[in-house]
Amino acid sequence: MGLLHIEEYLRPASLEEAFRLKRAGGERAAYVGGGVSLVLFAPEVKTLVDLSRVPLDGIHSDKGGVRIGASAPMREVLDSPILQTYLGGIVPRMLREVASPLLRNVATVGGTLVAANPWSDVIPVLLSLDAEVTLFDGKSRTIPLANLFPVRHHLGDALLTEVRLPPAPAHGAASFVKFGRTRFDVAMLNVACAVTAEKGRCSKARVVVGGRPDLAARAPKVEEVLVGAEFSPKTIAAAADVAAKTVEVREDRRASAEYRKELVEVGVRRALTEARARLAEGSR
Amino acid sequence: MKIDLTLNGEKRSFEAAPGDTLLEVLRRERFVGVKKGCGEGDCGACAVLLDGHAVNSCLVLAGKADGREVVTIEGLADGERLHPIQEAFLDLGAIQCGYCTPGMVIAAADLLAHHPDPSEEEIREGISGNLCRCTGYVKQVEAVQDAARRMRRPHG
Repeated sequence: MGLLHIEEYLRPASLEEAFRLKRAGGERAAYVGGGVSLVLFAPEVKTLVDLSRVPLDGIHSDKGGVRIGASAPMREVLDSPILQTYLGGIVPRMLREVASPLLRNVATVGGTLVAANPWSDVIPVLLSLDAEVTLFDGKSRTIPLANLFPVRHHLGDALLTEVRLPPAPAHGAASFVKFGRTRFDVAMLNVACAVTAEKGRCSKARVVVGGRPDLAARAPKVEEVLVGAEFSPKTIAAAADVAAKTVEVREDRRASAEYRKELVEVGVRRALTEARARLAEGSR
Repeated sequence: MKIDLTLNGEKRSFEAAPGDTLLEVLRRERFVGVKKGCGEGDCGACAVLLDGHAVNSCLVLAGKADGREVVTIEGLADGERLHPIQEAFLDLGAIQCGYCTPGMVIAAADLLAHHPDPSEEEIREGISGNLCRCTGYVKQVEAVQDAARRMRRPHG
């Protein structure tokens, strides 16, 4: 029952036309990717600008990395041979834990980033991979995904067109841990990490915690413990300990702050332990 | 606004309000095998195939179906002959009140079209967006396994 006030449904065929129509419709116009967030949460919208005919789908890979069209449904990303081989298939592994197959056939990658739900499983993983996003507002610009969230309410008519992942590092591994009451349910807390380690020493680390219940963010103090250290169970235990002490968590209806604090420690330890096992597997 | 689509194999054209969901249009046009449950994408009772993929029709704007192919539960049977998934659900007693059944059959049709020989876990995952409050899902999982066998050997 989300859409009570819709007066216009527009189907532009190009990026430029979509942008022009959205701009003409102003604040009460909205782009429609999969449409999930709109149908569920946006009763104020008057004009819909459906992106179905704008060519924004497809997943491509070249020496610059991987490009995922913003209109690609999650299922297409999950099934993509390119992403199944990217860093041990971290993105499809995560997507298997997101909602249901029915919803993954509707919801798009771009839509989930713009919705920026704090419990999102997609966002922590993409942040851990140093993803960038391309925005179009007459011309295209690419910004780090992390920079999207502070400005997302001020995007105006800009349209998110593409997600970019950098080339996978040679000695890298990534992992994702979700805590939810069921697999279908949204996360009470989730942890994504991506680690580069050569000859047992960690040279780069990304540890991201989501559903705190605030929006996912990197945990810089935890990353500091890892970088330059031997990537060992001892270091992992130290990182998990620092995570429990420094990652800010709060209570909401899904979990208490105390419980989340425990989850942070367990989640970071499990995620890093899995990344370490994957690195060992990769180097054999 | 006008929506042209292929519905259950036939070219059809419907009038819809710009904010209508596909579920609302289908039920108004008397495709009432498509059930409205939660209206929020949780229960899966409204599942239809959109270009061969099962979706929650309560979350799909009607306009997004324009130019595409939609299959509802009414379109799965071949005339009087039920689809093997429907036969398997009947034969194995995978139906109680029946409200979730159309959506679950549609989700199974998507699964088996892409994974003709799924494991039990893949079946459970495939119907994980379809809630059934009568059963414990055991018979539905068995029915999908059985349907997979029937579909791999259609004349056996």
